[in-house]
Amino acid sequence: MAQRTGLAMRRLNWSPQALAGALVALVAGLLVLYPVAFLLQAALNTGDPEARPPTEYGLDNFAGLLAYPQIILNTLTVSLAATVMALILGFVMAWIITRTNVPGRRFFEQMMVVPYYLTPLLGALAWSLLGTPESGFLNQVYRALGGSEYLIDINTPYGIAWVMALFEGSVAFVMIGAVMKSMDPALEEASQVMGASRLRTMLRITLPLVLPGVLGAAVFVFAEMLGSFAVALVLGLPNRYYVVTTAIYQLVQQYPPKIPVAAAMGTSLFVVMFVTLFIYRRIITAGSYVTITGKAFRPRVNDVGRLRYLLCAICVFYLFCSVVLPLLTLFYASIQNISTAFPPLSNFTTEHFYKAFTMNAATTALGNSLWLALWTATLGVLLMGLISWIIYRSRLPGASVIEYIVMFPQSVPRLIFAFGMMWAWLIFPIPIYGTLWLLLIAYLTVFLPLGVRTISGVMLQIDKSLEECAQMCGAGWGYRIRTVTVPLLWPGLIAAWLLLFVASIRELGASILLMGPHSKVITPSIVESWFASSTELTAAMALIQTLVVAIAVAVLMAITRRATTHITD
Amino acid sequence: MAERKPHIEVENLEIHYGDVPAVRGVSFSVQPGEQLTLLGPSGCGKTTTLRAIAGLEQPMAGEIRIAGAPVYSSAQHVNIPAEKRGLSMVFQSYAIWPHMTVFENVAYGLRVRRESKEAIAQKVERALDMVQMRAFSARGASQLSGGQQQRVALARAFVFQPSVLLFDEPLSNLDAKLRADMRIELRELQHRLGITSVYVTHDLEEALAMSDRIVVMKDGLIAQVGSPLEIYNHPRNAFVADFVGSANLIRGRNRTDLAMGDVVALETLSGHVVYGMAHGRPAGADLTFSIRTVHLGLSAAKPAGTQNVWPVRVERSVFQGDFTQTHVAWGDQRLVIRGAAMEPLPEGSEAFLSVEPKRVVLLEE
Repeated sequence: MAQRTGLAMRRLNWSPQALAGALVALVAGLLVLYPVAFLLQAALNTGDPEARPPTEYGLDNFAGLLAYPQIILNTLTVSLAATVMALILGFVMAWIITRTNVPGRRFFEQMMVVPYYLTPLLGALAWSLLGTPESGFLNQVYRALGGSEYLIDINTPYGIAWVMALFEGSVAFVMIGAVMKSMDPALEEASQVMGASRLRTMLRITLPLVLPGVLGAAVFVFAEMLGSFAVALVLGLPNRYYVVTTAIYQLVQQYPPKIPVAAAMGTSLFVVMFVTLFIYRRIITAGSYVTITGKAFRPRVNDVGRLRYLLCAICVFYLFCSVVLPLLTLFYASIQNISTAFPPLSNFTTEHFYKAFTMNAATTALGNSLWLALWTATLGVLLMGLISWIIYRSRLPGASVIEYIVMFPQSVPRLIFAFGMMWAWLIFPIPIYGTLWLLLIAYLTVFLPLGVRTISGVMLQIDKSLEECAQMCGAGWGYRIRTVTVPLLWPGLIAAWLLLFVASIRELGASILLMGPHSKVITPSIVESWFASSTELTAAMALIQTLVVAIAVAVLMAITRRATTHITD
Repeated sequence: MAERKPHIEVENLEIHYGDVPAVRGVSFSVQPGEQLTLLGPSGCGKTTTLRAIAGLEQPMAGEIRIAGAPVYSSAQHVNIPAEKRGLSMVFQSYAIWPHMTVFENVAYGLRVRRESKEAIAQKVERALDMVQMRAFSARGASQLSGGQQQRVALARAFVFQPSVLLFDEPLSNLDAKLRADMRIELRELQHRLGITSVYVTHDLEEALAMSDRIVVMKDGLIAQVGSPLEIYNHPRNAFVADFVGSANLIRGRNRTDLAMGDVVALETLSGHVVYGMAHGRPAGADLTFSIRTVHLGLSAAKPAGTQNVWPVRVERSVFQGDFTQTHVAWGDQRLVIRGAAMEPLPEGSEAFLSVEPKRVVLLEE
């Protein structure tokens, strides 16, 4: 066997692990690159839009984008406004929670992720109920108190930006908080020991140190906001106010669809996001002198005296706007016949919940979503676990290329990815278009970065020599994976399973384009119901969905908590 | 001693990390039953070489043979995966699997080999006996101290009777006292098992105490190969002299007129004449001598003899417990002397420095 010669033996043995690696790389590559190729093809198609493959190629579609200056302006307005708001919120909350002795810091820190789990869609529905000029609950209260016309109008660019900042801005908090936490307090103490005042230390030491991190967060959040979809759809559509993602959705859904223009728009957005994220990465690496030593420090807590009650009030207000108020609003609306701020007693009913659980469309959609979530999570953990292992453990050539491909969906809004997929699978020989199978493939693709990051995060904490030792004991690849890698990775795999489950249940951007009349899923159905049928029923459906997600998240937290205590033993 | 066939042969081994060469053409061999140590500072390529023998690192070029058969050969395109090389290894981090008990950890290699249940129980028991861990058999791995984990890792490594044991700095995570005990235990165990082993360390004492032969490495190359005594007493170059224990280096012009037989002499820039041994090494126009800090004598009274005796001034004297370290001014150079029974001389006092010429070693480069 050692006598084998020739090219096949040049660099690696075609062992089972190499074969599995090649196969998984191929699958991941196909999942990610196949739809992207079709997206580009559609964007460059200048011939007959119905002809496939295209008869002519050119850049005319991109030139055609200039006919939509309003959409570009809208997108920039909303994204910039939302980024600024998210940054202010994120910075203030991060500073309060990591650097001051505000009462209940721990609690607030844990609560900060809740708006993210509630989803932007739920936030948009709730704030729409609260803030439309005519019937918004807040405006009704305002008028009842003697005000005229309305207090707020949520259906404006700044209203949209506000809701986006509230529900998609928690990433800014997480990123800025991480920078503040990773800063060595000795750097500030050194300044004070040398005789600098508190203010001087703040201006000359603290601020310059966190600035690159804040800038990085700004760029990252801006990219997120560019690709944001749900809020702009729910709040922008009534006034025909379109941003680029909702415009693409409109162009694809209308009759006749304008596929090439939509594709060009999607490609441009994706290029802009890609460049933005590239800039983000440059900022992060260039600014790495900052604070990132890989060590976790106990950040120095400032005693802010009486001010802490004010800061506490700010935290409470934030959570009230992003968690308590939206949930209460939806609940309040869901138990009324026709929702209003001051209903007569006779208006209250449980009919909508009853309907949501019995109406065929709703139960089918929820059932489909659960089925999809189960399969996405199960297959996803298998696929993404293997991919993580190949990227971080296998030492196979090309592992870094796989990492690049797998992380690619991160920089493409899911709606646009789904658009490429729709176009790609329409002509696929196996008729899966309009079935749940296509959604399953879509979920597995768009959640690749989520799953791989979760699993590899745990994998990187497991000392490599634990696997190498099994190898030295004579265990082959499969045996090793089964007896050492998987048992050690178990908490990470379960966490990934639950995250994928939750993400699938809440998925909107990809599902809304790919679901067919016989493959409805819950989140797009909520949107459909919002625009087509009753507000109150929609609220009930949204609450039921939230409950499913909440249960999964609770299980997730219980498991990860137990897993971390197990590891630190 | 009859020439035996070497158990492990490493030939012109080259290993790169990306574009960075880690090992740049290393050759050595290990005899059956021999304990060979790769010694060097961090980054010298010793661990990389060991991992290449294990099969955990893919070399660029060269050949590794075990019992005569190539397990890696760039010329023949052979690269046998680690699990099929029949070796075993003790890792720096111990790599005790936290999800298994002590018994299961040790039994792993036997289960891979599909041994019967009774055989496994018997062999694991015997192995745990040898490392005095039998009482802990049912314990979870996370309930063990560092030293206990070390023992389990050891038992796990030899229980399935591998042909070679590899050690990757196995003692570096233990505290100093435990390390000294384990050193002796390991050596005894190695003798009892009579197993060929390759040991990697950056700790000089460990290398001297544990090895039949030492390979000193620097920057991916071999600096010297020899028995612990050879390495210590006759370092080949300034690097080995300095890394293996502490030494004073003295440079000067070759005084061929004073040379006699194996004795050579040099004159330093400040005019001191020093006699030393060439040990058959060629002497050029400029010479470098190495003198171990413990071989220099320091006394208030002038010792008998005229060769290698110089008056010096004591600059600094530091009591360090087992020995006293003294710095003296000697011409334009500072020399370091370590002595145990020495009564510390007052700083600033005049004294006499002396060394036997046979303790002064000519370096090759």
